[in-house]
Parts: sequence; structure tokens; C-alpha cells
Amino acid sequence: MLDWTSTPFIVIVVLGVVGLAIPVYDALRKERGEKKNKLYSIISVAALIVTIFIVIARVLSGDVIAGMDFSKDSITDDMFGSFFAIALLIVSIMVTASSWNYLRGITASASYYSLILLSTIGMVLIAYSTDFVTLFIAWELMSIPTYALAAYAKRDPISNEAALKYFMFGALSSSIIVLAIGLTYGLTGTTNIGESIKELSSLDSGQFPVLILTVALFVAGFGFKMGIVPFHMWLPDTYEGAPTTIGALLAAGTKKAGFAAAIRIIIIGMFALQLDWSIALSILAIITMTVGNLGAIMQKSVPRILAYSSIAQAGYILIGLAIAPYSDIGLSGSLFHIMNHAVMKSAAFIAVAGIAIALASYSLEKYRGLGRRMPFTAIALTISLLALAGVPPLNGFWSKLVIFESAIDSGTQVPWGSHLAIAGVLNSALSLAYYAWIIRKIYMEESEDMRPVKEPKAIKAVLAFTIIFIVGFGIWHAPIYDFAKSSVPLFIGKSDTSIVITPTTQENNDGKPSLGKISTDTTLHFQSTKTVLTTT
Amino acid sequence: MNELIDYLVVSIVMISVGIYGIIVKRNAIRMIFSIEIIANAVNLTLIAFSRYLSDVQGQVFTLFAIAIAAAEIAVGLGIIIIAYRLYREIDVAEYRSLKG
Repeated sequence: MLDWTSTPFIVIVVLGVVGLAIPVYDALRKERGEKKNKLYSIISVAALIVTIFIVIARVLSGDVIAGMDFSKDSITDDMFGSFFAIALLIVSIMVTASSWNYLRGITASASYYSLILLSTIGMVLIAYSTDFVTLFIAWELMSIPTYALAAYAKRDPISNEAALKYFMFGALSSSIIVLAIGLTYGLTGTTNIGESIKELSSLDSGQFPVLILTVALFVAGFGFKMGIVPFHMWLPDTYEGAPTTIGALLAAGTKKAGFAAAIRIIIIGMFALQLDWSIALSILAIITMTVGNLGAIMQKSVPRILAYSSIAQAGYILIGLAIAPYSDIGLSGSLFHIMNHAVMKSAAFIAVAGIAIALASYSLEKYRGLGRRMPFTAIALTISLLALAGVPPLNGFWSKLVIFESAIDSGTQVPWGSHLAIAGVLNSALSLAYYAWIIRKIYMEESEDMRPVKEPKAIKAVLAFTIIFIVGFGIWHAPIYDFAKSSVPLFIGKSDTSIVITPTTQENNDGKPSLGKISTDTTLHFQSTKTVLTTT
Repeated sequence: MNELIDYLVVSIVMISVGIYGIIVKRNAIRMIFSIEIIANAVNLTLIAFSRYLSDVQGQVFTLFAIAIAAAEIAVGLGIIIIAYRLYREIDVAEYRSLKG
């Protein structure tokens, strides 16, 4: 059992208490209007900043389990969870801080901040959960508030339609996840993730079709949130129609939480079961990148371009996941890109939100001459777009480099490995077409009205932070990359030494070659298997 | 074992009905019904497995899943009520502000 000072508990307590206290306080107070919005924004940002400092302090204190841990409890306190917690809390801070300006004119601001905080708890808990029950509850705690948030502009038909689409696909995907969990439970008789992976590795071959179906259902269920291509139809509409700050939360927050769940279950399951899902995931990755980038080129509305670009970015992250069994830097590259993309994408969305406040338009045509009208926002948007495209001195470049490098590295194991890197590089070049198109509109073209517009202050502050993050970690990328490397399971990801987890009770008597082992009875660590190989 | 197969067959039929409903129906409430049918079919699988394995964990999970599905559907119906106020219509084919 985890004690009360472990990170997930602190996150639940701090954010939960503040998130529930805000609406209660709001019900007790009579006053209305602007003042309340600012007060709640400050309270939420303060709570999130306190939480993120606690998480960082816990990581630095060294009490957190390194790598990825599968405990018998329902939650664990490991580096993998902490990595996602930090990335998602940064996104939440940026969203709540920029809502200070964006939410002007909406009266019911208390529930808005409350829902963001509760959704953040859900996202963070997904990364920490080691039991399917916790994982599913955290998943729904993340999803349900975002349905309401997407519909938050009540009088706006676009927001409502976006929310309705999001809700339909979201509810369907959660049913699919329950079905996948149910099948896993039926095959193994346990809902603990580590235990069930352990059980599945000793499954008799007659049940393999069910197992493949289960993994496919997990990919589909999580894929809806991750924005992988056959399941991406709702995504551009929702990101465009939802309030733009919520678009940032969806694109940068819930999407990353989907990846956390996918890595925890599918990828680790792949290792354990030696199921060769790599080719399937690689094909999904290539299709996702290409569809995302091609879709973005045609669009007229900037949030829609960003939505398609976030589909494409999901494809890059998926490369790292797909080749994780063949390259030891694949997963850390994915995690690195997840952190960077969370900041870059929310920066872009928040800049668009700032422009929408000033110009009341999302159309790309209105962005002409923005370089002189809103100089600071324009620079921040340009930097985040260049980082998304992967231009060298910025942080997006390094994470893409690691992912493509891992793809080339896996080419020694699997012949198609390096093709992934080629597809990724070609797609990056393609993506520059529409990023550069926006930048061209901002700086090279002129509109009839060139008067400077007032830039919203809170959004400027958030964008200043993102510029520091993107450029700073672009120049000195080591801290995040090292953190990502310490957050992934410690294994050697070569196919000839890939991991088979055998139940501790019956060691190697089922005639299967055992290449890995479970370190203890209670917890399941993935270890470097080369040494184990020699012993078995 | 035979019992388990029976329950699973019922569950698969219900899932198919639900998916048919989501694809074919254009009425928002009917789509929510279809989603509910899928959710209940899935819960039935879990309970059947739980009984087959004589293990309570699956039933505990089902209780959570039912409660969460109720909350989810409540939010969804809220969204549909707002949609009705805006359009005076709950036919999703009529909602066409987002294109692309």
C-alpha cells in the first residue's frame, strides 16, 4: 500500500480539494463577473504550481521508483508516472493561466476551472495506475469533464457540435476499453496490469486469437484519444469547435494521457507476449503522419491546421512506440517528444486563443500582417510552429531526431525500420509547407488594417514561458532527455533478447525459452535481460 | 463453459446491435441508446467472466463501469439538450457548422 506522502495521493488531495472547493465557494458568494474569473484562475494556477513543485521535489528526492513499476496495488509511484504528471501539469497550468483572458464574458467560470483541475487529476492518475480498475476510472475522470468543457460556450453552435462529436466517440471508445479489459480479465482472472501481463505470457496458443483481438481493442480504445488515423474523424472538428484553450487541453493533455495508457498496457504487453505488433503500429504511424499532414495543407482555419498537425505528431510519437522492441531509445524518444509536443502544441493553441480574443477570428486570412499588429504573440506562434516542424535549434528537433535515430537504429534488426525514419523525415518536410504558410501570412503579407492590437496580458505571460521552454530546452536538451530515459522501463530492446515474463512459480517448465525474469514476487520490473540470458 | 459461451453470444449480439445503431441512426438520443447498449453488453461480458472464474473482481469492476457510464450519459444528454435549444432539432445530420 502506498503511503500518504506518495505523489499520486498528493496530486489527488491538492487538486481534488481545490477543484471541489471552487464551485462550493462560488455558490456561497453572490457577486458575479470578471473579478471571480480572475480569482479562480489565480487559485487554480496556484494549486497546479504547488502540485508540480511537489512532483518535481519527489522526483529529485529519489524516493520515486526508477523506470516503470508494476505493483500489486492499484497505483504506484514511479518515474514513468512522474514524467507524464509533469508534462500534463505544465499543460494545465498554461491552460488555466491563459483562461484568465480567454474566459471574458462567460459567467460560470467556477465550474470551468473546477473541471480542468478534476480532468488533470484523471490524466495524471492514468500514468500512475497499475490496475485496470484505476486506469479506467482515471480515464473517465479525464474524459467526462472534457466533454462538458468542449461544450462550454453554451450559445455557440460550433462548440456544441464539437462536444457532441467528441462525446459520441469518447463514450464509444470507453466502451471499447471496458471490452478489452473484460477480455483480458476473462483470459487471466485478474485486473492488475502487471499480474495479467504475467498470466498472459503463459497462455496456451489456442487462446491467441482472443489475445490479438484484445490488443486490437486496446489500440482502438486508446487510439480514439491519441488521434491515430482510423479513429481520428472527430478530432479536427472538436479541436476547432471547442473553446481554443480547451483545444489546447485536449491536444496537449488528453492525447498524452492516451499515450501513457498505451505505453503502460500495449507496449509493455507487446514485450512480454512477444506479439509482433510492431509492423501494425508502424503502418498506423505512417498512415497517421501522412493523413495528418495532407489534411492540414487544405485547411483555412488555424485551429483546424493545428488539429491535423497534432494527428501528424501522434504519428511521430507512434514511431517510437512501434519500434520499442527493436531499439532501446525508441520509448525514451517517444516520451521526450510527448513532453516537447505538450508544450509546443499548447503554446500554438494559446497563441491562437490570444489572436482570437483580439481579432475575433480563427481564419488564416485574418493572420495577414499579424507580425506588426501583435508582435509578441506572432513571435511566440512562429517559434512554436517552427518547433512543431522540427527546425534545429528548438526542442522539437531533438525529440524528432531521437525518434528517427531509433528508427534507423532498429534497421539492423528489422528491414523496415529505416523506412519509418524516411517516412518521418519526408513528413516533416511536408509539414513545413503549412507551418511556413502560416508564418508567411503573419510576416510577409499585409492586411488593410495594420493598426496594432492590444495583446492579452496573461496569454503573453504564458507565451513568454513557452518561448523560454522551447528555445531553452532546444539549446540544452539534456535534462528532459535524461528524465525521459530514466522514466522508461530498463530493458534491452533487441528482438533476440526481448523479454518474456514467466510466472515465478513455474520456472521454465512449460518448454518456452525464458529470456527474462521477474525481480520479486510483488513487483515486476523490467530488467536488462542480457545477463539473464546467460543464466537461463 | 457452455454457459459462458451463451452469455458471450448474447453480448456479441448486443454489441453488434449497438454498433449498427451508431452507424445508421441519425437521432442523437438513439445514438446515445446505442452507446448504452454497447456499454451494457460489455458489462455482461465482465459479469459472465466473473461468474465463470468465480472471482468477484469482475463484478466490482462492472459496478464501477455502470456508475461511470451513468455519469457519462448524463453529460451527453446535457450536451444534447443544449443542442436542442440551439437548433430545435436533435437530428445530427442537421448539425453542420463544422466542415472540412
